[in-house]
Amino acid sequence: MSAVAEREPASPRPRPRKRESALRKTMKEGLWDNNPIFRQVLGICSALAVTNLVLNTAVMCLALTWTTALSCLTVSLLRDWTPHRIRMMVQTLIIAFYVILVDLALKAYWPEMSRSLGPYVGLIITNCIIMGRCEAFARSNSPGMSFLDGLFSGLGYSFVLLMVAVLRELLGMGSILGVPVPYFSTAWDKWIIMVMPPGAFFTLACLIWIFRSIRSGEEEKSA
Amino acid sequence: MSLTVELWQMLVVFFSAIFTGNILLTTFLGMCPFLAVSRQVKASVGLGFAVVFVMTCTSLLNWLAYRYVLVPLELEFFRFILFIIIIATFVQFVEMVLERYSPVLYQNLGIFLPLITVNCAILGASLFTVIREYTFLVTVGYGFGSGAGWMLAIVAMAGIRQKMAVERVPAGLQGPGITLIIAGLMALGFIGFTGVLQGG
Amino acid sequence: MREKPWFPVLYMFVITAFFSSILIGLSRFTRERVEVNQQLAVEKAVLEALPIELPPEASSLELHQTFLERIKDPSPASGGAYVLIAGDKVVAYAVPLEGKGYWDTIKGFIGIDSDMGTVTGISFYEQSETPGLGAEIAQPPFRSQFVGKRMAQGNRPLGFLPVGSVLGESEVHAITGATQTSTRVERIINEDLLSWRSGVLSRGDSAL
Repeated sequence: MSAVAEREPASPRPRPRKRESALRKTMKEGLWDNNPIFRQVLGICSALAVTNLVLNTAVMCLALTWTTALSCLTVSLLRDWTPHRIRMMVQTLIIAFYVILVDLALKAYWPEMSRSLGPYVGLIITNCIIMGRCEAFARSNSPGMSFLDGLFSGLGYSFVLLMVAVLRELLGMGSILGVPVPYFSTAWDKWIIMVMPPGAFFTLACLIWIFRSIRSGEEEKSA
Repeated sequence: MSLTVELWQMLVVFFSAIFTGNILLTTFLGMCPFLAVSRQVKASVGLGFAVVFVMTCTSLLNWLAYRYVLVPLELEFFRFILFIIIIATFVQFVEMVLERYSPVLYQNLGIFLPLITVNCAILGASLFTVIREYTFLVTVGYGFGSGAGWMLAIVAMAGIRQKMAVERVPAGLQGPGITLIIAGLMALGFIGFTGVLQGG
Repeated sequence: MREKPWFPVLYMFVITAFFSSILIGLSRFTRERVEVNQQLAVEKAVLEALPIELPPEASSLELHQTFLERIKDPSPASGGAYVLIAGDKVVAYAVPLEGKGYWDTIKGFIGIDSDMGTVTGISFYEQSETPGLGAEIAQPPFRSQFVGKRMAQGNRPLGFLPVGSVLGESEVHAITGATQTSTRVERIINEDLLSWRSGVLSRGDSAL
């Protein structure tokens, strides 16, 4: 994550550097420092259930990232007009709009996936992350930055969920994205528990443990 | 479907919503307040009751709204927005009534009500009744059962966490980490109930 | 204008109207497609349960054409099953299967030859069982077991046995680790086959 940010060329002129480091900061925040799941343990409900298959998780994450990025963009575009009192209702409406678009598209063009994901696509609307980003950032920042902030928060969330999904599908079914993986689909004695709900809980708990240990190690070093 | 068959199915769905298809431990809904509030038994019981009440009532209201408003108008896709509006309005209404007529109850339960509006389990339960095409009576059983199941999970979790408060948990696992592991163990335990109910 | 007390109401109204109309438009646009998809799924399942040669990469259109040409719709005479015809003769029936699986409704078809006993195939077009476990019922390894099996007389036309057991001509292997799904599918198949068999037999042999 920080590797991606560092690939951007350092600029000698002051103004572009300030703009550029705002971008880097946003990216790093969304993906790592303030990673929605690890740091804030937010919004896991609507997606843990589909993490038994990498494909379903990927579609879910795409839907969520799309919704977060575009909702933040729209909220930001309307921020000068939206009366303060009703801003939460307006935000909910905007988020619901983008989610319904995804739901309609899936039902029409990929019905099996729509059925596999069940109610979880709709539950993206109540996902605390999106509302959180709209409130915390999009309300008071430019459309461009808001879009990016939403995008990277969504990607940070996706990165964690995909890790859970890869572990679950690999250890539980010996495949990734439905493609059998050499050792895991043959000699490996599949961990059926990974296919069932407890597997999701345990995997996520371990990932949080690892992440937080790394984080506190980083914090100790810089302190 | 005859009435007796429906009543029987309602009972089956009620029990399966608590044990075999627990809304929190099998469909992962309602995790945020679950992780946050389950530190103490008292708070969990309070929140649990509030959830049972709201979930039962809103699944019914949403069922009616879906069947008699959205379907005739061919606006099924609108259910996400309508359900959220109904839930938020209902919770608001209950809060006002409590505040006016029962200050005691308001003191105990009222603070949880805003938390409930963002509890995805409430919306999720309504969405499930639509997907599974439940009839009215079965929805009653499902709404009440899901709420009761959620409450069971959170109270059990709080009991365990309170007992564990004196244990040494590794730093990285404190808080959400260990809670998720306990939840996983509970989910594992609940799987033992599978097969107890035929047709559920 | 923004400070006027009615502005929030107006704003909410305009925003809702704007977004809702887009959604209503798109919903209308996709509605027909959704219905077509559902119909095609049913047709495909019917064809897969019957002894028809289907090219592996057949397009939806080709499947639909085949369906229109070779399949007769369900009627009371066929006991509610789709009928595969060749000219005037009945070749096989596709008996609809429907019932509650472990998670949700399971729907499919089981094909029975015109001799009213031999199974020609089985297919599922709707199921939400656990991937890797119950959902394996929709995969070829499980489904291919059924081809050539014979319906037993009596109350259990087809039986499910654990993997490793020796199978008779009316038995198939259940799915290891998916006991719930296996039990329910077995029940659905047997109930629907029994009611179909008695429905057809009560009308005599010429089911057309």
